[in-house]
Amino acid sequence: MPSLKDRVIDWLDARTRHRTIKHVLLDEEIPAGTGWLFTLGSVLLALITIQLLTGAFLTLYYAPTPDHAYESVRYISSTSAGRMVRGLHHFGASFLVVFLVLHLLRVVVFGSYRPPRELTWLSGLALLGLVLAFALTGYLLPWDQRAYWATVVTINISRLSPGIGDLIAGVLQGGATIGALTLTRWYSAHVIFLPALLVLLIVAHVVLMRLQGSSGPWRAKTGKPFPFYPYQAFRDTVVVTAVLLAVVALAWRGMPPLEGPADPTDANYIPRPEWYFLGLFQLLKYFPGKWEVVGAIILPGVAAAFLALLPWIDRGRSRDPRQRPLIMSLVTAGLLAVVVLTTLGWRDRPVNAPADQWSMREIGGRAIAGYSGCAKCHSPNGLADPLESVALQRGAEWVAGHAVDPEMLAPGLREPPTARSEREIAAIVAYVRRATRHTYPGYPKEIETAATVWARYCVGCHIIDGDGGKDGPELSKAGEKHDLEKLKTWIIDPEAVNPDAEMPAFGDRLSPEQLDAIATYLANRK
Amino acid sequence: MPSPETHTHEPGRRRALALVVNSIVGLFSAATTGLLGLFAVRPARGAEQERWIRAGSLGELTANVPIPRVLAVPRSDGWYRARSRETVFLVWNGARDVKVLSATCTHLGCQVLWDSTAKQFKCPCHGGVYSATGDVVAGPPPRGLQIIDARIDGADDTVLVRV
Repeated sequence: MPSLKDRVIDWLDARTRHRTIKHVLLDEEIPAGTGWLFTLGSVLLALITIQLLTGAFLTLYYAPTPDHAYESVRYISSTSAGRMVRGLHHFGASFLVVFLVLHLLRVVVFGSYRPPRELTWLSGLALLGLVLAFALTGYLLPWDQRAYWATVVTINISRLSPGIGDLIAGVLQGGATIGALTLTRWYSAHVIFLPALLVLLIVAHVVLMRLQGSSGPWRAKTGKPFPFYPYQAFRDTVVVTAVLLAVVALAWRGMPPLEGPADPTDANYIPRPEWYFLGLFQLLKYFPGKWEVVGAIILPGVAAAFLALLPWIDRGRSRDPRQRPLIMSLVTAGLLAVVVLTTLGWRDRPVNAPADQWSMREIGGRAIAGYSGCAKCHSPNGLADPLESVALQRGAEWVAGHAVDPEMLAPGLREPPTARSEREIAAIVAYVRRATRHTYPGYPKEIETAATVWARYCVGCHIIDGDGGKDGPELSKAGEKHDLEKLKTWIIDPEAVNPDAEMPAFGDRLSPEQLDAIATYLANRK
Repeated sequence: MPSPETHTHEPGRRRALALVVNSIVGLFSAATTGLLGLFAVRPARGAEQERWIRAGSLGELTANVPIPRVLAVPRSDGWYRARSRETVFLVWNGARDVKVLSATCTHLGCQVLWDSTAKQFKCPCHGGVYSATGDVVAGPPPRGLQIIDARIDGADDTVLVRV
């Protein structure tokens, strides 16, 4: 007489066939000699699961409209759980790209795409394309500067496709410009259409893999095949745990980036793509004029076609990489090209002033906001949040209108009034952008006065630390050439020193302390 | 359950029924694909109204030096109405003519900057370079900066730009 437990399990098995399911899932025969390199597929499955879970939960808070997308992402990042979930999604995406490439290289080196596994290989390549599509649609969603400009470039690249470029660009863009309609369609692609396709393709990929069996080492080893569970499953578990711990550590330590809100006119912003597109970004620089299509479409297309045709190009008998020198050197050359291009693209990134140091414009903006009466409403008990904690999601033009007429909270309803001074507004915008991310470190009174003068006047024509206009000479090292007295006389009346000077006289516009402060500040810049 | 073989004695009826099932399924699939495809692909584009917007006045310009101006252009984007902010450069020839150049790089759409030392427009993305008149000097751009229609309003020397 079987025990009660056995009878219950038998009863269930008769109705659910769970023993068969378990056998099919876990007792797959793995060829002898299959090792740690064959765990990469499982790593990808684990990473994709993380993306699906964190992504699904991010939609609880995210709002896909130009007015709210940026704000909602900031809101998500404002709690530690939100930062963690967004961090996992952000860094998980990078890991996914890295492990996809590793998995692909493993398959290439082991010649695992050989017959009868051509369709497994093709479905894998399709999955690679799909993951890149996820990456592209995903990073528009925060609607920050990087998101906006990456989308501009992507849509313009798609316009280059011969014959159907305008159709593709129109479908990607949705509306007449990149805006509300672009955001909703990339959002639904990212959270509905692409995930559906992804799940279908993964099922196909895994089923095909199981039908043909694991390819195993390139030279069949003598020895009996072993069951997947628990031998290969153990290796999978070890590697997956290590990778997931690395993602968690990154998400824990690093804040996923969120730049300023999308602003089509911010001339100081230098767009750069996410790191895995840097190679393509660099490639685009080498093809002028009508050759553009070569870098943007043809070369990547040729590379993709080469990969897709590999099972039919590489037809030798041995899978041993040492006996496939041509394929191995082609793939190595391709890999090298990607690494070199990515490195070059990486090095060509803008040099920013150190993040913890406030620029003169930002310091000046704080003082200007102070005397412009912003604190009447923006105070802890006031009508609006203090400037340090408001979330600036509007452009300079709105802030300009708002500063003159604070009740103008809904832009677009009427003509914005003319700004008092574009430079003052720019300084306030720079200050608020900085203040919402970093607390004011506190600078001496003289520096604050100098910064106010700098932000109101000098910044229009002169540069310090990379910020400012280019009509006059750069002043980052003004103290090397001129002493305090010379600088003072020059600022009061340039024509008195040099009759040909183009700079206007500031003697009448600055108070004695202001003149002292700015001249001293410049004299100390060496 | 009758096996399919029991019906092989009436192949005509079997073929006809299969034809009906397949065509109806095919018809529905085609109609759904057509409708949803059209819905997704058709770019929502209302007729944009032509407008002339003030971009500055002659008094603010310096001869032959491109001066950037940000225009707030009312645009409707599907259901979303907003002022889209677009940068243009005004180049005044010193007399009664102002050339207005779009700041959008013709390569892939980044915003060019005026480098007053080199007297050239430079694109920060992929290294495009244009002359002060907007012609391509170096780098990947396929053509010069777009020239936007502009006129000077005689009464008060206002520069108006067509958007």
